[in-house]
Amino acid sequence: MRLRCALGLILATLTTVATAGSVEDQIRFRQSAYSFMGWNTAKIKNQAVDHPESYNKDQIIAAANAIAAVANSSLLDLYAPGTDQGTGWKPSHLKADYFQKQDEVKEINAKFIKEANELQAVAATGDAAAVKTQFGKLGAACKSCHDLIRVRD
Amino acid sequence: MKVKLKIWDWPLRLFHWLLVLAVLGAYVTGKLGGLLTEWHSRLGGLVLGLLIFRFIWGVIGTTHARFLNFFPSFSRLAAYFKGGWQGAGHNPLGALAIIAKLTVLLLLVGTGLFANDDIGFEGPLFHGVNKDLSDKLSGWHSWLVNLMLGLVVLHVSAIIFYQWVKKTNLVLPMLTGNKQLPDTLAANSIGPVSPLRFVVALLVSTFVVWGVWSVELADYLTSLISKVMT
Repeated sequence: MRLRCALGLILATLTTVATAGSVEDQIRFRQSAYSFMGWNTAKIKNQAVDHPESYNKDQIIAAANAIAAVANSSLLDLYAPGTDQGTGWKPSHLKADYFQKQDEVKEINAKFIKEANELQAVAATGDAAAVKTQFGKLGAACKSCHDLIRVRD
Repeated sequence: MKVKLKIWDWPLRLFHWLLVLAVLGAYVTGKLGGLLTEWHSRLGGLVLGLLIFRFIWGVIGTTHARFLNFFPSFSRLAAYFKGGWQGAGHNPLGALAIIAKLTVLLLLVGTGLFANDDIGFEGPLFHGVNKDLSDKLSGWHSWLVNLMLGLVVLHVSAIIFYQWVKKTNLVLPMLTGNKQLPDTLAANSIGPVSPLRFVVALLVSTFVVWGVWSVELADYLTSLISKVMT
């Protein structure tokens, strides 16, 4: 029984490593994910918030789709123990107490996914004002996580 | 005998209460994020304008608004702690706290101008620096908030202390401009506010805020800086 448990644990660990990669890979993947999302959030901020006259429905749909895809890609798999240390494209900015805050993290992650999906749905309608409002909600979800688990420069 | 003396002029009082609202609003919108970040930025602009106004008013304003008249020099502080300080405006210890608050607010606005939040916010001068520096300044910005909170707590505690222990109301004078003081200090009553000086201070501070926020001026300054650097 104990052996089976141990085997199961090893197997589970191996699967995670296989899908998410080494510590450095995980940090690199998630940094890439956020920086790619940043390109898309900047596009929405620019067109839906700062310069509504430049609103381009197709570009906003593409951006919202990309954000939703990243949000739904199981990002939390990239936060294995040890990934608060180490360097991807740049040093990890994950707070060490991330691993003690799992309840809050999961809650925020669920909210982030919900708001990203909602943004995708709203973008499809082409309603610029609604996109702006929903973008604000998504931004608040991003921020709540930054405030909780990200090390400030 | 105590007499009613005018010590705070109306632009100073207006500055004080607008600053309270702007800082409070900036704090709340900064914590909440989302679309309120836009308002955080606008309130930051208001704080910048108010600070510049205060610095100008600290030179050309009425007696107790002037920095030189309440600057907490070593001799003034020493006299104050020995109980020998006499005056109508800011006492030297209070002056120290005021200068600390103005400095921290200036640093907050200064770092905020270059900040970004990796979501959608970029300060008006963000493009004048590289991303790494902006990230660093953003970190300082949020760290300085704690310092500011500490100073606000100190400020409010001092007011409560004066009310309960010293039986002196400091809030009312900041609203009306008048304070009950010994008649020996009657000569410290301020004169009328010069409308011209107020308009000059208002115009200069408005112009600076407008200049910082208008992209053209920011771009011009950026190109100027890069010219100097190369």
